[in-house]
Amino acid sequence: MSAASAQARIGRIGLYTLLVWTCLFFSIPLLVVIATSLKTSDEVRAFSIFSLPASPSFSAWVKAWFAACTGLNCGGVHVGFLNSVRILIPSVIMSVFAGSVTGYALSHWRVRGANVVMLFLLLGAFIPYQVILYPLVKMFSTIGIYSSLPCIIAVHVLFGLPVMSLLFRNFYAGLPEELVKAARIDGAGFWRIFIWVMLPMSVNILIVATILQTTGIWNDYLLGLIFAGRDNMPMTVQLNAISTTSTGVIEYNVNTAAALLTALPPLLIYFASGRYFVRGITAGAVKG
Amino acid sequence: MSAVSVCGLSKSFGLLRVLRDIDLPVEAGEFTVLLGPSGCGKSTLLNAIAGLEDIDGGTIEIGGIDVTQHEPSKRGIAMVFQSYALYPTMSVRGNLSFGLRVKSTPKREVARRIEWASRLLQIDELLDRKPSQLSGGQRQRVAIGRALVQQAKVFLFDEPLSNLDAKLRTEMRVELKRLHKELGATIIYVTHDQIEAMTLATRIAVMRGGRIEQYAAPDTLYEQPETLFVAGFVGSPSMNFLPGELVGGAMRTVRFGAAMLPLNGYAFRDALSARDVVIGIRPEHISLAQDAAAEAAIDAETLFMEPMGADTLGWFQCGEHRLAARLSPQVARGIGGRVRLSFAMDQISLFDPESEARL
Repeated sequence: MSAASAQARIGRIGLYTLLVWTCLFFSIPLLVVIATSLKTSDEVRAFSIFSLPASPSFSAWVKAWFAACTGLNCGGVHVGFLNSVRILIPSVIMSVFAGSVTGYALSHWRVRGANVVMLFLLLGAFIPYQVILYPLVKMFSTIGIYSSLPCIIAVHVLFGLPVMSLLFRNFYAGLPEELVKAARIDGAGFWRIFIWVMLPMSVNILIVATILQTTGIWNDYLLGLIFAGRDNMPMTVQLNAISTTSTGVIEYNVNTAAALLTALPPLLIYFASGRYFVRGITAGAVKG
Repeated sequence: MSAVSVCGLSKSFGLLRVLRDIDLPVEAGEFTVLLGPSGCGKSTLLNAIAGLEDIDGGTIEIGGIDVTQHEPSKRGIAMVFQSYALYPTMSVRGNLSFGLRVKSTPKREVARRIEWASRLLQIDELLDRKPSQLSGGQRQRVAIGRALVQQAKVFLFDEPLSNLDAKLRTEMRVELKRLHKELGATIIYVTHDQIEAMTLATRIAVMRGGRIEQYAAPDTLYEQPETLFVAGFVGSPSMNFLPGELVGGAMRTVRFGAAMLPLNGYAFRDALSARDVVIGIRPEHISLAQDAAAEAAIDAETLFMEPMGADTLGWFQCGEHRLAARLSPQVARGIGGRVRLSFAMDQISLFDPESEARL
């Protein structure tokens, strides 16, 4: 073997060693959380956080799901899970639909003042949430739906609209204008063209949009805390309440199990659809 | 009654006037071609007739009905686009039937028309394929089929052949000619390709800068162009233009340099006094003079020959002017040096250099 190829081999080994170490370093928090969630309370207190569970058990997971306490409420995170699902499904459907229609209208129909609408959408996509929280609270209490399921859904749809509209506008702007012209000559109107011609071509971008919205809304904490109301607290808010509760012994194993349960849905989505997710990010980033 | 009648049509994009007071009558069964360089407004005019483009003034009648304010689908038109614009998620059958389904045509009628159109265009084997599985020529046929099943009063074609390669384009051109003959359909067709225009049209409207310069049958257009622009745009290589001066009271002669060229009964539009003119003569109307004494001839220097198979283009220099002549290959062989070129004076056109109009 020549000296050059031996040198290259040493380089390779160095590279992989570095990569493995980096991997380990970044996965340690996750590994600790998983290990802790599989221990008993006694084990957590008795040994270092880096020790592996002696006899792994899912009892902490079961407790987190069914019986973890938020203050005096001991129903487990499944209450929050169901709330999150109730918030998520209508919010995702409505925001993706509203975004796709807006994007389609802006890209293929001569809308009077379309540029102004685009400007406001861009502004909307970049305005920090905090600025509009207070006015929104006032508006929703004025119309009497503050702290309710419709309220939090409306908030998610509103906050999702700018990014969704831009995403779809960019996608539809890339489709040939003559398609819409041909469909108009065939006698189809705004909605029929949208449903029969545009939507069937939008499968990829619909998946991307759904992933973006699902992960975004599921991971939301701030909006859920402020707008959902006590009975509709999403899982993230409940998780925080469980882990910061100050009564009794702190059950780290239950807390970590609850955290993992909360993080699971977006994680599963990332794993199942990483391809589309990356595509969505680049679609948004490159064609701004 | 005209199949299509466009009257006083005008259209602006902001300050740019893309169509200026366009009048375009199209008779039933006619194949009208809108011809012009890019940016002359021909596609805008077609889109305006289709109703895809709002207009600022004028009226559009189709089949005797004023459709100026009608939706595209209510105008009785069908259209074929340059990019074909087939619906990518639908099969060929779906593409053909979409418009009919939108109009709630009975199923049996839809099936009948699809069968008829797909036979006519020889795409009946492809009905269950998706557009992405078709070649360019096949897509073009499907696009035409989608227009045919509409059984519209007027068919609009927007540069339908410009995305095809040269060989396929020639084939489809013949195909279109056959379709027009077979169906007797009224067609308005946009192109920037003058060969397409000459071969297909029953009448050509040559456009420039949002105006129609001349609207006439291909032969008339070619032989008696109304303006310098039309003369230069139609024909390849284009017409030779030489500066001349009319001399003699009865205007029997035009002077070019030292040469006096007799005008054998040129049909002047209006009587005029001695003035500058532009002499237009097509390459095929220039030949080698048989003898030095030939009338209507000039001396020129041979530049080079371009053999094209059926004939050869000879390029000559005469003073500061370059002339193209279409010669037979036998004659062209062995030409060189100084030659005498004779003009077929009964075929020339004269133009006013200022107004650019035919005299």
